[in-house]
Amino acid sequence: MPLWFARGLRRGVVTTRYPAGPDGSAAALPTPPAFRPVKLTRELVDVMISVCPGPALTRTADTLVFDVGSCTACGRCARVAPHAVTPSGEFELAATARSALVKRIPIRGGQR
Amino acid sequence: MKPGPDETATAEELRKQIAAQFGRSLHIRTLDTGSCAVCEQEIRLLAAPHYDLHRLGFFFTPAPRHADLLLVTGPMVRAFEVAARKTYEAMPGPKVVVATGACALGGVYPSDPFVHGEVDAVLPVDVWIPGCPPSPLALLHGLGVAVGRLAEKTPGLTFIADGDGGGG
Amino acid sequence: MTAVEPRAAAGTREQLVRQLNGLGGLEVTGRGGTQGAVTVRLLPETLEAATHVLAGTAGTRLADMFADINGDAPTLRLVWAYEADEPGYIVIESEIEGEQYPPLSDIAPAAFVEECEIYEQFGIRPAGGKPLNRLMLPPHAEAELPTLGREPAQQPEEVHAPHLVGGQAFEFPFGPVRQAGVESLYYGLVTSGEEVVDLYMFTWHKHRGVEWRLRGKTMHEAIFLAERAEGLSAVATGWAFAAAAEAAAGVTPPAAAARTRAVALELERLYNHAAATAALGQATGLSVGQAAAEIALERLLRVNAAAFGHRYLFGVIEPGGVSRAPDAEVLRRELPGAYDELRRTADALLSTNSFVDRLEACGILTAEQARRLGLVGPVARATGLANDARLAAAGAAAPYAGHPVNVVTADGGDVFARFQVMLGEAAESARLITQFLDGGTAADCSLVAPRAGAGLGWAESSRGEVLAWVALDEDGRITRARLRPGSARNWRGFDDACRSQNVFTDIPIIEASFWLTVAGMARLGG
Repeated sequence: MPLWFARGLRRGVVTTRYPAGPDGSAAALPTPPAFRPVKLTRELVDVMISVCPGPALTRTADTLVFDVGSCTACGRCARVAPHAVTPSGEFELAATARSALVKRIPIRGGQR
Repeated sequence: MKPGPDETATAEELRKQIAAQFGRSLHIRTLDTGSCAVCEQEIRLLAAPHYDLHRLGFFFTPAPRHADLLLVTGPMVRAFEVAARKTYEAMPGPKVVVATGACALGGVYPSDPFVHGEVDAVLPVDVWIPGCPPSPLALLHGLGVAVGRLAEKTPGLTFIADGDGGGG
Repeated sequence: MTAVEPRAAAGTREQLVRQLNGLGGLEVTGRGGTQGAVTVRLLPETLEAATHVLAGTAGTRLADMFADINGDAPTLRLVWAYEADEPGYIVIESEIEGEQYPPLSDIAPAAFVEECEIYEQFGIRPAGGKPLNRLMLPPHAEAELPTLGREPAQQPEEVHAPHLVGGQAFEFPFGPVRQAGVESLYYGLVTSGEEVVDLYMFTWHKHRGVEWRLRGKTMHEAIFLAERAEGLSAVATGWAFAAAAEAAAGVTPPAAAARTRAVALELERLYNHAAATAALGQATGLSVGQAAAEIALERLLRVNAAAFGHRYLFGVIEPGGVSRAPDAEVLRRELPGAYDELRRTADALLSTNSFVDRLEACGILTAEQARRLGLVGPVARATGLANDARLAAAGAAAPYAGHPVNVVTADGGDVFARFQVMLGEAAESARLITQFLDGGTAADCSLVAPRAGAGLGWAESSRGEVLAWVALDEDGRITRARLRPGSARNWRGFDDACRSQNVFTDIPIIEASFWLTVAGMARLGG
């Protein structure tokens, strides 16, 4: 089929180098949040927990427990706490242990 | 249940065996346990020109008998459990189970009369890939981790930003 | 079972509402220019007559039927789309005492699937003793699944349409685990060799109980699950759902937010039609065409990510408006090239005779079948029916009112016609996006204050009309949420399209041309 063959040659190769090298399109992907401990107070964490649509956020007295595995990167926690939350930029999140996806972030801002 | 020293050694051997056996050619059977259909779209794109998983020696197969890796989406709807188990049991060992997407990892549906809420409730999961949906790049990374070709990053990530942002 | 043929000429919707009210209406709500839906509450005795009136009027279509329970007696609700000069919706509702209601699918065959659903969920059934199929309950187990209302007195049987078999025919089950990368779906395939004598589907293995799980949530909590009922229609389903809450609360999104919704909806339509094109390439064995369409699809998904922060546009719609605005500059810069990739691929496909030959005369649906079954979207428009939910603008800020859509139809009702409709719609979407961006977009929300109410919302997804209906209590929490994606309407046309002289290898082609999802069907209540 000469039509398709010529098209293909003209189009060229679009295949990513990943994982051998980085892929620029990753920069536009939504990623789980990273948290700033010094900005986290218990009240703020409770607000973040209340807007999280899943079980990704829970807390103990002085620790925010963040289950990356449950995170959908929806951005609701970042919207209610813009100074405490920033995109992590991480999309290579595969883990061979479920527990490796549960992170503990200190609530250094304490209780106001 | 923490693995004892013998079990850890066996897990390490298994990883080496998997890397040796699947590292160059891997056949993937997909399994939808109740997804919203978006994870499947990202998985289909793995074979598309931008990602082309074939160049990495990965192939999709419709036959569980030919499959080495089970790529599972969805929250494990209870009514699907029988089909899920049959598919898993039809795969000869050694085999790897990869749960992909927030639904499969317990992030969207809790356990209730309709769904188990996570794949791990029914099938023994070896690799978990977060995302809603996991992008094809994230899937490629996860498959690489599953066959021992790529290193995991998550154990070293803290998700703590200290002023200048970043995953730490 | 003879369907009522529409004879009465279409009057105005007001006239129709007056006529219904005159039959024995108790209450009419939602009248007024800003709302597109009018609800008429009827006495139970008049339900059958009302259905006759509606089915007998030209320009009406039974769009959905569902039930609800408050107290002892379930309420049955029928949503009729009114498609004459001022398109909108008429909802008729009636409390059902006892176990039976008038046999409506004899009047409007489009209702059979819903009758089965309602029986499983609420234990009420149409009079006449016609056997009902299982939809949600798996056939192989006595599953203890909660329902939205009452358990049926007797579990529904598993009966599919009787088929006439010429010669030897056998039936074999296919699925639910099918080829790699597609959703789980169970077909019962009846064949005498290659020909498809009958095909019936079950989706019980994917029923996640979404409607059941939404109860008790606020709208802001619920939108997260609603857009994941059928993720490939996240914008459309989210929009219909949010609009239902807005109708219940008497709230209108700000104009710029409404245009943002429209931009997202048209982007969603574009990528879905690109994905359907790729699926057609795969189903016809034209790998190169498939790959070319996948390049276009990937480019469109990257445009979505660059513009709205998510490849599938999750998290844009919020009750009251939108939570994100598109990066208009990026969108203007990147979209034309991505759309052009799709257009050039489509041109090449249309010049490939071996491809076009597989599509023509394959999977034919007539306009009569589409109308009788109440089909929506490109599937219906490919038979010549010009219905499109974007024509039923609601509220002063409805974005399509200012930017009228050129509805794309085709003749023939075959796979080729559906493909042509999708391509025409893709071009229209690219045009509309530019217009909405010119009008201005913003991340903005009107406040949806918690209060009791009920409302209907709608949107035109790439698969067809999505309907949503919510009832909220005085705290603004959901007591009943109804989600009806386009897939839930159109799967019932798939059997008809697969019969009529098609062979096995035509089935994936027909499935690609419908481009539905199983998730959109399997989102029911209990």
